[in-house]
Amino acid sequence: MVELDHSFSTGKPEDYTWEAILDLDRLIPCVQGGRVVERTSPTSAKAEIKVKMGAMAMTFTGTVEVVEQDDDAHRALMRVRAREAGGQGHANADVTFALSDGGGTIHTAAQITGKAASMGEGVVVSVLDGLIRDFTQRLQAI
Amino acid sequence: MPIPTGRHTLGPDDGTLTVRTGRTGAASKAGHDLLIEVTSWRATLDLDGGEPAVTLTADARSLRVREGSGGMSALDDDDRANIEQTIDDEVLRGGAIEFRSSGVEPSADGAALRVEGDLDLLGTRRPVAFDLTAGDDGRLTGRARLRQTDFGLKPYSALFGTLKVADEVEVAVDARLPAAAGT
Repeated sequence: MVELDHSFSTGKPEDYTWEAILDLDRLIPCVQGGRVVERTSPTSAKAEIKVKMGAMAMTFTGTVEVVEQDDDAHRALMRVRAREAGGQGHANADVTFALSDGGGTIHTAAQITGKAASMGEGVVVSVLDGLIRDFTQRLQAI
Repeated sequence: MPIPTGRHTLGPDDGTLTVRTGRTGAASKAGHDLLIEVTSWRATLDLDGGEPAVTLTADARSLRVREGSGGMSALDDDDRANIEQTIDDEVLRGGAIEFRSSGVEPSADGAALRVEGDLDLLGTRRPVAFDLTAGDDGRLTGRARLRQTDFGLKPYSALFGTLKVADEVEVAVDARLPAAAGT
């Protein structure tokens, strides 16, 4: 299990950001290579993320679901359950958003298995950290 | 063996011009070291008694991936095509590649040349020096190490910057020497 903490700023009112991140159609494309395949409910979606690794790319497909939502505290827990397309690997994560005015924090608890994990935990942490940092940059424009 | 005097023109029919790349970054294990061949190039050696000179021009869109070592799995044809597309679209972008010597110093036995000159790569000109050596097998070889950033190129990176092509690349030429002067 890899756990990472990040903060982000949007420069926008907390209520606006809260509404935006709960909209999976807006949130998921903020992950580089991520797209919504199908909305399955107001709080869940089938999604895909394609991670480019130079010449090659790994694609993970799965679900994103808002499993906890505290509208007063502006805190949400999203669960990602994904599988490597054409492979045996998994990428699962519990992602907790806690908002404050103008931004917020993200706590990620991820479990990666298969080909990606075979590069070692240090590599997984570096790549995941890079992915989330990139995600936080994109959240500024959400 | 001594390099024959005269004016020689070399190209892909005479040998290979290759570029070797390495990788760096936390996720470098995910990438490949590449051997890339420039399949369209032309070099001249002027050794006809006047001031010796060496020139080289290469087509930036003619690079083909010949080998890839390392990585999590072997490169297939699609992967190689993807790399070539990336070189065309994001790295060299079809720009001009031209080397022109400013000084060529033959060795005492005439079997080697110390070449100094300027490489113009995508509009940025930098000095480059290398040796060309004629072997007993009749082949002319030479290699030069270049830093991409010296020419204003940003080394390609992926995986959120954790996998990068190393800044320094090695360019090598290995060509059959002409048998006689003036060929």
